[in-house]
Amino acid sequence: MTDETNGTDAPRPARADSPADDCGHSLEELGEYLETGSSPYAAHFGQCPQCQAGLASLRVLGDLTRRLAEEDTQAAAASDGWLQDILSNLRLETRAGRSIPVASENPDDGLSETEGAVVALIRSAGDAIDGVTIGKCRLHGDITRPGAPTRVELSVTALHGYRLPALVDALRTSVGEVFGLHTELHLDGVDITVADIVQDGQGTAPGPGLEEHP
Amino acid sequence: MTPPPRDVGLDALPDVVLCERATDGDTAAFEVLARRYGPMMRGYAMRLTGSTADADDAVQETLIHAWDHLADLRDGSVVKSWLMRICGRRSIDIVRRRREHADADTLAGVPDHRPTPESATIAGSGLDSLARSLEALPAEQRQCWVLKEMGGLSYEEIAEQLRISSESVRGRLARARATLMKDMEGWR
Repeated sequence: MTDETNGTDAPRPARADSPADDCGHSLEELGEYLETGSSPYAAHFGQCPQCQAGLASLRVLGDLTRRLAEEDTQAAAASDGWLQDILSNLRLETRAGRSIPVASENPDDGLSETEGAVVALIRSAGDAIDGVTIGKCRLHGDITRPGAPTRVELSVTALHGYRLPALVDALRTSVGEVFGLHTELHLDGVDITVADIVQDGQGTAPGPGLEEHP
Repeated sequence: MTPPPRDVGLDALPDVVLCERATDGDTAAFEVLARRYGPMMRGYAMRLTGSTADADDAVQETLIHAWDHLADLRDGSVVKSWLMRICGRRSIDIVRRRREHADADTLAGVPDHRPTPESATIAGSGLDSLARSLEALPAEQRQCWVLKEMGGLSYEEIAEQLRISSESVRGRLARARATLMKDMEGWR
């Protein structure tokens, strides 16, 4: 086993700078075998003590590297100040979306609200209903035209234990109220998809960055 | 008395839903994502840049980019690897910018040995020794190793990020691997 990287033909002569009993296989070949699970030299690796030792060491190194990354993450999670600084420095642009006309007393005044503002209103109205949290919210229709027929598409996460028909009814009513109060669009319908039902509203979050989220 | 509202808290929402909300403009949902994956990004960026200040810059740039491009992310369930990828790219860019701005004369021949402050807190001889060995590697080798082993990038992806050939990546990784393996014999 050497740390040489080129050449893939086996068997090969031992190099002048290698020990006489060197089997001629590189760490890279062993590394690729570990990663892919296959190698033209798999049979040799299986019975060569040198390569066996190399594979074991590479496994330890890979394992240590992963653990170091986890430790780094935990160390970064343990001190929150840096993240708070970054978050308070972030200037996130608002998402305006399309412009929705609003009638004004004076017809010469152009008055409008943004699609983003209406979506935010729908989201907070939906979140105010027990047992449901809004995900995606889209307005379909030519909302840049006054009184345009509009459909609302909602994707929601429900909390286990709430009756879905009641939740959906409450959502429809709520979206209708938002439209009536804050827009002059004509609400044609609300299409609701319950994308997920969650058992417990609190206990399912992972530690910061440490686990794969479902 | 009505009971307190029971809802799925933002912190408990899966990545997909947080991405949907953030794409729609919900900054609170985006903050939850930032808190969920910020520490992982910072650790990664620290290993790539060798500096906490640069790592924080990389995380900040990553978040700004992510907010502006979330709509391009078709599948919110892969947001973690998407963020890590952006963060790796930003980290490499920051190191490159720093190099280009630095006076070439003062840098010539100076090895890149700056220890990361957090490494002092890493307990356990194996991890501690690995951290020191990584920091002692030439920066070009360390970046290849970290992108591959911590970022999970392929040779081709590393080559593209570092603007070098796949063969160079292969060579740097081989040298890094050989050095780390040799070091490891000393501390096991």
